[in-house]
Amino acid sequence: MHVPRPSLRKRVASSLAGRTVSFLTKIFLSGIAAVAIVALMIELLTGGLTPNCQRNPLDPLCIPGYAVRTLTRMTIAYVFALAFALAYGIATAMSHRASHVLLPLLDIFQSVPVLGVVPVVFLIILGTGTGTTPPPELNQEVASIILIFTAMAWAPTFGVIAGINAIPTDIKEAAHAYGMRGTRYLRQIVLPAVFPELVWSSILAWGGGWYLIPVEEHLSFGQPPNQTQVDLPGIGRYIALAALKADLGLALFGLIVLVGIILAVDRLIWKPLGVRAEKYKYETVAAPRTTATRQSSVVAGVRRYEDRLVSPVLTFFKSERYYAARVLEITRLKRIRHITERLRFPERITRIPLWGRLLSYTIFIGLVILGLIVTIISRSQSIESGISLLATDVTAFELVVITVLSLSRLVIAYAIALSWTLGAGILIARSQRLSRLLVPIFDIGQSIPATALFPLVVILLVDPFKNSPYLGFTLNLASVLLILTGMQWYLLFNIVGAVNGVPNDILEATTAYRIRGRRFVKEILIPASFPAILIGSIQAWGGGWNALIVSEYIGPNANVPGLGSFLVQASTRNPALATVEIYASLLVMTATVLIINRLVWRRLLRKADRYKFEA
Amino acid sequence: MSQPPEPILQIKDITKIYPGEGKSTTVLDHISFDVYKEFLCIVGPSGCGKSTLLRIIDGLDKPTSGQVLFHAHPITSPSPKIGVIFQTFALIPWKTVLGNVLMSISSASIQKEEQLKIAQKYIQDVGLEGFESSYPKELSGGMKQRVGIARALALQPEVLLMDEPFSSLDALTAENLRREVVEIWRDPAYPTGSVIMVTHNVQEAVEMADRVIVLSARPAKIVDDVKIDLERPRSPRDPTLYDLADRIISKIS
Repeated sequence: MHVPRPSLRKRVASSLAGRTVSFLTKIFLSGIAAVAIVALMIELLTGGLTPNCQRNPLDPLCIPGYAVRTLTRMTIAYVFALAFALAYGIATAMSHRASHVLLPLLDIFQSVPVLGVVPVVFLIILGTGTGTTPPPELNQEVASIILIFTAMAWAPTFGVIAGINAIPTDIKEAAHAYGMRGTRYLRQIVLPAVFPELVWSSILAWGGGWYLIPVEEHLSFGQPPNQTQVDLPGIGRYIALAALKADLGLALFGLIVLVGIILAVDRLIWKPLGVRAEKYKYETVAAPRTTATRQSSVVAGVRRYEDRLVSPVLTFFKSERYYAARVLEITRLKRIRHITERLRFPERITRIPLWGRLLSYTIFIGLVILGLIVTIISRSQSIESGISLLATDVTAFELVVITVLSLSRLVIAYAIALSWTLGAGILIARSQRLSRLLVPIFDIGQSIPATALFPLVVILLVDPFKNSPYLGFTLNLASVLLILTGMQWYLLFNIVGAVNGVPNDILEATTAYRIRGRRFVKEILIPASFPAILIGSIQAWGGGWNALIVSEYIGPNANVPGLGSFLVQASTRNPALATVEIYASLLVMTATVLIINRLVWRRLLRKADRYKFEA
Repeated sequence: MSQPPEPILQIKDITKIYPGEGKSTTVLDHISFDVYKEFLCIVGPSGCGKSTLLRIIDGLDKPTSGQVLFHAHPITSPSPKIGVIFQTFALIPWKTVLGNVLMSISSASIQKEEQLKIAQKYIQDVGLEGFESSYPKELSGGMKQRVGIARALALQPEVLLMDEPFSSLDALTAENLRREVVEIWRDPAYPTGSVIMVTHNVQEAVEMADRVIVLSARPAKIVDDVKIDLERPRSPRDPTLYDLADRIISKIS
């Protein structure tokens, strides 16, 4: 029998694309509707914001208006991130060939420290300031939303890919056998599979977005004549301004409001969504309008699929008799689980053919060069002069030295983070009472974006020592502390998750054979957390690099040499040199992150299989 | 008439209640029996608390009331004279076969070389020679349970507790392993006198045991205590066993 394959395929593809577009349009439109509502709220809430809050931006009464502005920025960026994640994720998961390029490219993108991108995006969008007139507020807003987007986009994309990859073969085969293709396949199989992953990864995405807020709402580049000012009303600016005035009270007030908003969003949006995703309610997807037999078999298949995904979670909760897993909220555990899911990606990436890897690196370098050209054109400079200036001004040796200095700060912070979180993780696992006490504290602690602590550290550790000989020491201390705050929570929650995940029968066997105390910790708990420590370490180093960028440079008279302060200083030194320097340091950073991931963590991850419990 | 022998274990009036919100659940309801040098099986419907009873006997779980006496001394925590075999094997994935077997004796005050010798002997006895440095992941289900058995035997325990040891295995492997376990127990070279095995497989119980204690559905009470005086070695296909099993099944349902 002749099968009109090409035409069929074409039809499927076109209808899939069509449905994807219509689905994205729906999301987009609802995003716009949401923004419109929020904008209306701004008008209502901030009638007084403009005149009064411009004169006195630190007035606590302006806080609600600031909160709405910040949240609006986040929401718009999130809608774009979601659309990107679905498009990129579905393209990666649906086409094997495309995944060879898209997957390693995504891995490179997520290795770029987001805070390092801040000057690049502002330079491209805003150009060099004229000194007196600040850039139009709309441009500032656009730049800010793009930045938040870059912080939000990667986790949901990995989530979409993980969700599609997790669809069992029998479901795919059943769908195929019953003629579910194109749109129906997308809506009835792909989107339900993606929904829970999207929820967990969105939690991470919003965490990344919050991380930027204290940094990107109030910034300046360049020296006074050619200075570019970024000044956007929002909670982040409130904290930054309070820090500039060295007003500890107001800075703390802003920080508490920020944490309050973060916790409120977490409880009001992500927790209910997480619970919903946990139950796998597929009502959002319309029931298939097909014959009864088709419907029942597919629905039954989906239900089986649900059971399979949910039952490990249920078993986990059932077997939890000794440890206070109930204290950890569902969302927290799911977060850890989600993060563990991402463990598969490094393994997949190593299996990617060389051409895919080369092509993805080429695309990335191409994008960087494109960005460089755009930046330089917008600043009317020539590339050659910039590069030759870089060559004469900064030697490769200097770049290596500052990279090593920054790395040593990261290593110290990592050592501190690992030792205390391992101790705390073990304590939490072994004492229900301690767990009940500490977990909520840690939960709030991790919801504070590390960047928001920056002003506090400046006020407490840097300002009082401005003229003392100890300044160098306190600056290094402040830097390590800030990096620590960017690293520790990833490790802690991964370790707690792992220690809680030790199966009950293993615990009983160790009790029955009287393995206790130090031996229990050494022979059971630490090996059991080994894979989680590795995953936590990859994330912690990502967070650490980000924190590094803001932690090394506080002011012209208060900074320590390193990649972070090199990057920040680039924008304040020779303007002709700035662009090239910013790109150079960003590339060095990304390369270091990629090299460390490949040489250390991924190599160790391959050995970690032995430390996983069998399901 | 000769004096009756001293019981090795005495289970005295054990009650276990799980407190719940509003109403609590009674799992075990005044269970009492003595264990002598014998192969004892505890059978009952699933969820009746058989495994809880076994955990209480080992000191892994505490009874709400009542006590377990081991040579007239109350048991409150796991004793080195009692070995346990788990349904799910409970092997540590990052330890080798040797490491898993050593786990049970390493807390005893024996020299390192002596420990190694003991572990190696029992690995041989369960037929795992040559697999000492394999990891559990590389073994089949039957081999994993052999590691579990070697680990328990290495303690040279007086009492061996088994919690559904064959129910995670396929039928053929289970049959072989059942025979081997009975042979090991009957071998006078082993110090293990009493075996208590929990199972929901009545056929398995009558085939292996000297005595079967039958528990009712929750809250579990002893509904029967059946002596099985059949010649060993027994054939699992013996029609007498089927009759016995039918009698016990009728008691449960």
